[in-house]
Amino acid sequence: AGPRLRLAAAFSLLILFAGAQALAPSHRLTDRDLTRLRAALERPFADLQAAYYSIVGLSSLGARVADEKAACRFIKSHVDSSSVDSLFYAAQSIRVLSGCEVTVSNETRELLLAAVSEDSSVTQIFHAVGALSGFGLPLASQEALTALTARLSKEENVLATIQALETASYLSQQADLSGIVEEIEDLVARLDDLGGVYLQFEEGIETTALFVAAAYKLSDHVGTEPAMKEDQIIQLMNAIFSKKNFEMLSEAFSVACAVGSLSQNRYHLPVIIVPDGPAAVSHHQPVLRLQVTDVMSRPLTQASVKLDYAKSASSKATVLQQTAFALSGDIFELNFMNVKPASGYYDFSISVDGDKRFIANKIELKVKVSTEVGITNVDLSTVDKDQSIAPKTTRVAYPAKAKGSFTADSHQNFALSFQLIDVNSGAELIPHQTFVRLHNQKTGQEVVFVAEPDSKNVYKFELDTSERKTEFDSASGTYTLYLIIGDATLENPILWNVADVVIKFPEEDAPSTVQSKNLFVPKPEIQHLFREPEKRPPTVVSNTFTALILSPLLLLLILWLKIGANISNFSFAPSIIVFHMGHAAMLGLMYVYWTQLNMFQTLKYLAILGGITFLAGNRMLAQKAVKR
Amino acid sequence: AGAVGSVVRRFLAEYGSGTPSRLKVLDAYLLYVLLTGALQFGYCLGVGTFPFNSFLSGFISAVGSFILGVCLRIQINPQNKGEFQGISPERAFADFLFATTILHLVVINFVG
Repeated sequence: AGPRLRLAAAFSLLILFAGAQALAPSHRLTDRDLTRLRAALERPFADLQAAYYSIVGLSSLGARVADEKAACRFIKSHVDSSSVDSLFYAAQSIRVLSGCEVTVSNETRELLLAAVSEDSSVTQIFHAVGALSGFGLPLASQEALTALTARLSKEENVLATIQALETASYLSQQADLSGIVEEIEDLVARLDDLGGVYLQFEEGIETTALFVAAAYKLSDHVGTEPAMKEDQIIQLMNAIFSKKNFEMLSEAFSVACAVGSLSQNRYHLPVIIVPDGPAAVSHHQPVLRLQVTDVMSRPLTQASVKLDYAKSASSKATVLQQTAFALSGDIFELNFMNVKPASGYYDFSISVDGDKRFIANKIELKVKVSTEVGITNVDLSTVDKDQSIAPKTTRVAYPAKAKGSFTADSHQNFALSFQLIDVNSGAELIPHQTFVRLHNQKTGQEVVFVAEPDSKNVYKFELDTSERKTEFDSASGTYTLYLIIGDATLENPILWNVADVVIKFPEEDAPSTVQSKNLFVPKPEIQHLFREPEKRPPTVVSNTFTALILSPLLLLLILWLKIGANISNFSFAPSIIVFHMGHAAMLGLMYVYWTQLNMFQTLKYLAILGGITFLAGNRMLAQKAVKR
Repeated sequence: AGAVGSVVRRFLAEYGSGTPSRLKVLDAYLLYVLLTGALQFGYCLGVGTFPFNSFLSGFISAVGSFILGVCLRIQINPQNKGEFQGISPERAFADFLFATTILHLVVINFVG
């Protein structure tokens, strides 16, 4: 046991470090979702069960039914005193409604007490206990517990266990409820892990939500923390909150109960941390705003939100740490631009404290810092290839266009150089997109090149006509030069018409027309070749051969006559006649087989004929043998 | 040429006198089958093998019949009586008929 324990401890430590980054909730209920949930519950009551779902569901969400008096009247008129289920729905509903009372007769009480026994199903016990508790009637908790435990061991399914949890939450704490409390752990083990993100029962979201509500209700009642780990709770939340549309009232009810229990219980309070708008700051918008709420999107204004650290995503250098967010109304704010960060992406680690029950209260957020780019030191020049003439340089300022045009031909290249800086900080920038686009005004051709920075972060582009012939298809003419600068962190992408460039390619390579490569013309048709029939000889030839093949038969008959085949011993004994007839019939059968029959039919007839022929032939040959 | 001719004449004379008529009847049948098979083969060489299954079935029929005929001839030849103690000529003939029936069944199945 010793080394095993140590191994287990080491393994769990490893898991702890590996799982140090807790799972972040991927689904939550926004205000719109909650409104939809409430609307789903506010349907007019179809029956008593629907009324129960609506009334109790809405109360879990902290809302009330629109007309409580009408609801109370509905319950009173629809309750069926002979049905335990009906009494349960009524009892639990009036518990929530204010000023609604139903008198319970002795018979009803006896009925309910009798239902709490080992012979009723778990659902019956649950409803009976719930009804008794809702009506405020006394109940023997220990006996109820015994009946429940006995019944539960017979009904092993998930829904029955969940109902047992609910039932136990109505029983007095003096009864030993630990056996039922242990069922929570067993149920957690039965949850299915879907991709590490969701945790739900195979019975569905409704069952999962009912489980969450029941588990917390019982845990609060008994005073023991439910045996669920933080990651499991978050995965359960993801599964339950992934359902946004509720067709069935029971689904809406279960989700409402789960939401209600997760937003107020004694042990676990999941925190939802979401940026308010995009997680981006810039000089115009220097403040990062966060919404910190519970699962019902209610702001946790009592919490203290702190930035643990902010690291640059590229260089991993910590830019800011241990700074608190300030509360402004319902939003937590932090002015990140105060530390003058360079543009780019930053990894923020944020933690929310203030209540021991908080879970999912540490998150990682990717924040973008944007800036504006400025182009400076833009120099356009024509460089002589022979290096004999000094390059002529013209400086242009953005957004003006250079006056005059520049020429690039076989003697000289065209060159462009510029620098990109952060307007606010003056630092040099290397954006993702730095393109030089040349657009032929006459033919509509455009060619795009990438301008590369050198070691000093000065961007350079050079156009050599002999090198770039193929990109241009050797089409000479006047091209408009554009500079395109773009990046995710730039607020002002640039498309700048810098100058006009006349490009002259050597004449012999110029194509007569610009060929457009059109892919969508009809292709040549494929002719299908049918299988050619085999060559056969002409009918004359095959008919001649057929006649020819019969000639040996003629020869045979002649030869037999010559030899003197002995047919004189032909006596008309029945066996001889039968034999010859049978044999002839068999040969005839062969012909019929060739023209009409299949093998099975032929074999059948052959068996019959063959049998007859055999018997007759046997007799005949035996007689012949005797004669001899 | 003369030597071959005299051998052939001698053979024919011996054959004509020394062979029972029953065997001669069988030999005529064998000759007939042989000619039929040869004609079929020649035709196939001439006009081609389409349809091949028909040619095969006809040719195999000729070949098979020839073989069965030869077997029958051996079995009923009185000179071979010593080697076929338990098989009377009638029995040999019955076997011949039976085998020929099966051959015909297969051939008709294949001729198409």
